[in-house]
Amino acid sequence: MLEIEKINVSYGDLQALWDISFRVEEREIVALIGPNGAGKTTTLKTITGLLKPFGGEIRFEGMAMEKMAIHKRVEMGISLVPEGRGLFPGMSTLENLELGAFTDKGRSCREETIEQVYELFPILKNRKKQAAGTLSGGEQQMLAIGRGLMSKPKLLLFDEPSWGLSPLLSKVIYEVIGQINHSGVTILLIEQNVRMALELTNRAYVVENGRIVKQGDSRNMLNDQHIREAYLGTESV
Amino acid sequence: MSSHRKTLFLSLGITILLALVPLVTKRNDLINLMILIFLYICLAQSWNILAGYTGQVSLGHAAFFGLGAITTRFLWVGGTPFFLAFLTGGVVAVVFALIIGHPALRLKGIYFAIGTLGLGQILKITVGNVLPTVADLPGDYIATYNLIPRYYLFLILAVITVAVVYWISHSKLGLGMVAVREDEEAAKASGVNTFRQKIIALFISSFFAGLAGGAFAFYHVSYYHDLPFSPIWTFDALLITFVGGVGTIVGPIIGSFFYAIFKEFFARTFPELHVFIFGILFILVVLLLPGGLVEMAGRIRRLVTSKKGVVPTV
Amino acid sequence: MNLQVLAQSLIFGIFVGGLYGLAAVGLSLVFGVMKMLNVAHGELLMLGGYVTFWFFSLYHIDPFLALLPSAFVLFLIGMGLYKGLFSPLAKLHEEVKIKNSLLIGFGLSLVFHNLAIRLWTADERSVSVLYSGWGFSLFGLRFPFIRLSGLVLATIVILALQQFLTKTYFGKAIRATTENWESAALMGINIEKTSMISFALGATLAAMAGTIVSVGYAIHPAMGLEWTLKALIVVVLAGLGNIGGAFAAGVLLGAVESVSTLFVGPYMEVVGLVIFLLVLELRPQGLFGKSIG
Repeated sequence: MLEIEKINVSYGDLQALWDISFRVEEREIVALIGPNGAGKTTTLKTITGLLKPFGGEIRFEGMAMEKMAIHKRVEMGISLVPEGRGLFPGMSTLENLELGAFTDKGRSCREETIEQVYELFPILKNRKKQAAGTLSGGEQQMLAIGRGLMSKPKLLLFDEPSWGLSPLLSKVIYEVIGQINHSGVTILLIEQNVRMALELTNRAYVVENGRIVKQGDSRNMLNDQHIREAYLGTESV
Repeated sequence: MSSHRKTLFLSLGITILLALVPLVTKRNDLINLMILIFLYICLAQSWNILAGYTGQVSLGHAAFFGLGAITTRFLWVGGTPFFLAFLTGGVVAVVFALIIGHPALRLKGIYFAIGTLGLGQILKITVGNVLPTVADLPGDYIATYNLIPRYYLFLILAVITVAVVYWISHSKLGLGMVAVREDEEAAKASGVNTFRQKIIALFISSFFAGLAGGAFAFYHVSYYHDLPFSPIWTFDALLITFVGGVGTIVGPIIGSFFYAIFKEFFARTFPELHVFIFGILFILVVLLLPGGLVEMAGRIRRLVTSKKGVVPTV
Repeated sequence: MNLQVLAQSLIFGIFVGGLYGLAAVGLSLVFGVMKMLNVAHGELLMLGGYVTFWFFSLYHIDPFLALLPSAFVLFLIGMGLYKGLFSPLAKLHEEVKIKNSLLIGFGLSLVFHNLAIRLWTADERSVSVLYSGWGFSLFGLRFPFIRLSGLVLATIVILALQQFLTKTYFGKAIRATTENWESAALMGINIEKTSMISFALGATLAAMAGTIVSVGYAIHPAMGLEWTLKALIVVVLAGLGNIGGAFAAGVLLGAVESVSTLFVGPYMEVVGLVIFLLVLELRPQGLFGKSIG
């Protein structure tokens, strides 16, 4: 469904991604893991169009996308739940959800989707008139995810969905992400918590210093020596 | 450095040629035109120091020009020897700059621009209310009025201002200023005292703008007291500097030359058309050619030399 | 100090303050969405006034009706200006973008000013209608119809704008873009189109204010700078991007200016400017802080 081929991205003179290539098949749930500053967020930003690569191709459902405007990519079915949630703080919970459904596809079944989001996250219904900036961390994350679902995406990207959340909440969020995947949405996520990421996903890519250094089945990676030492070493069993 | 020496000789040569002009012609209109060019050069270069090199776009430049003019006019008409009045004008402008400097330079970017705009307007309105009359020269001053010394005053002022800009651009001070312009945070991080750079730039900029004002007061027989405080002078400086080439030495010179010529050329048929033309050029420069005419000249030169098969140097 | 004179002064100040607010709202809207300050806003207001003036002079259309074609013309001009001049800046780094938009606005203001002088001479113009002198008195205070209508109109327009921003999808898109343009883009909002419409809307609001000025007061090519400054003062008072506050701050400025005329006469403009500088120095986020809608 999503094919990234040899993309290179720079911030001004500073190159951040070097010949990144990977793919995500339909209905898969794939993880990008790696240390801070490795280029994982940069990769997601490039997929959505917030950053433009030089050299390389991005193909979504066969269509070349590198030159497409951000809003067009959303219309094609890509949605991002950004790092730090990226909510509209002065606008209400409901308005944030409504804006998630801005595309034609989203609007056509907006009411239905909102009910589905309320089913997933009942607390959002209680908060629907409240300004998004006043919600708690967990509620904000739920809202961000709910909003990401409003456009009825085919591919949903997550940037650090458990960031700043308690282990209990993180578990809840992860269950929801699993549910979303089961309902047919393809998922690509970035996650600091490597164990959770590998337990949830089918496959994973390890990004270090702007390059993909390892890839494979998540199950295998959990047992991989290098991964255990580098990323799982400080984990308590 | 031989390029310094070349520049020095070239400038000296041009200055001498310009100095000879009043000796070879009696045409007052030509002399007045050149005075206008020199005035613009000084006005624009002084603005260029703060905005072009240090990146602080001020929209209140006329305040310094006006303070220099009003100070010089009053002192000189009151009997003070001209040169003293003239220098005092510059000093008053600097004192004002130093007073408002700290609070003003704290403001960033657009806030600094609109803040200085507001400040300039306050001065203009105040002067216009306190002194709504025309500043006339007393009879005996008019009787002894001679254009030639004024020509030389403006010439020397323009030359000195350009020389100062040249010196700055080749000095450590200039490097610091440009560092502030390019990336103030990075400059601060690498140990540049950015506030000091800005205040020094303001100091020099205001001084020469004040002197330009003083020369203006010496030159015009009569004008309204609030005229030199009018924002038009600020706008002139902006138009000239950007179209010529902001942040360059030659830019304001080229800009002043064309601006003054257009102004005189259209004065009878389409007054103020020069502002319109430069306004459009200004917009084009900001959008397409940030280096102004200087950049355009450079590109043409590279195009020509590369066509000859010579490898162009950047 | 005569209480009646004070009250009358206050009333006139509130009337003109409503226009300041209307002018400021347009500027604030544009800044919120595009993060660019259009310092040619006053010139757009001036153009709006002239369009109304000419519709009235040539076709004898009542100025309050001419408001519509004037608004429409400025909407189109706004779109054109955005596409041609400000859109190329959108991709730039925030600091450079703001600086360049300031410069372009500056160049534009000079060009428009000059064009206006060339086309319509530097003379002051005013629309004189049958009901120009009408008004009513209440408690010995005079309420001229036209100026009162100006305030009423400004209030209606701003309320309508608020409704637009809170109830319509596109209005919400504008607010979203103002709060977080990246996230807005990720919702499928076409930022380019949103910016263009916002800019055109800003020009329209300016045109409406200009229309009222042409009837209730007077217009001339040099008024642009004056009105841009007023709008800037109000926007800084209210906080950049705060639309509701802009109206209130406008009325406040008008009232303060008008009343101070009684005390400091011709220095009343200076009072507004000094407040402006003080707010810039001490509270750049404005008296009313940062919020939208």
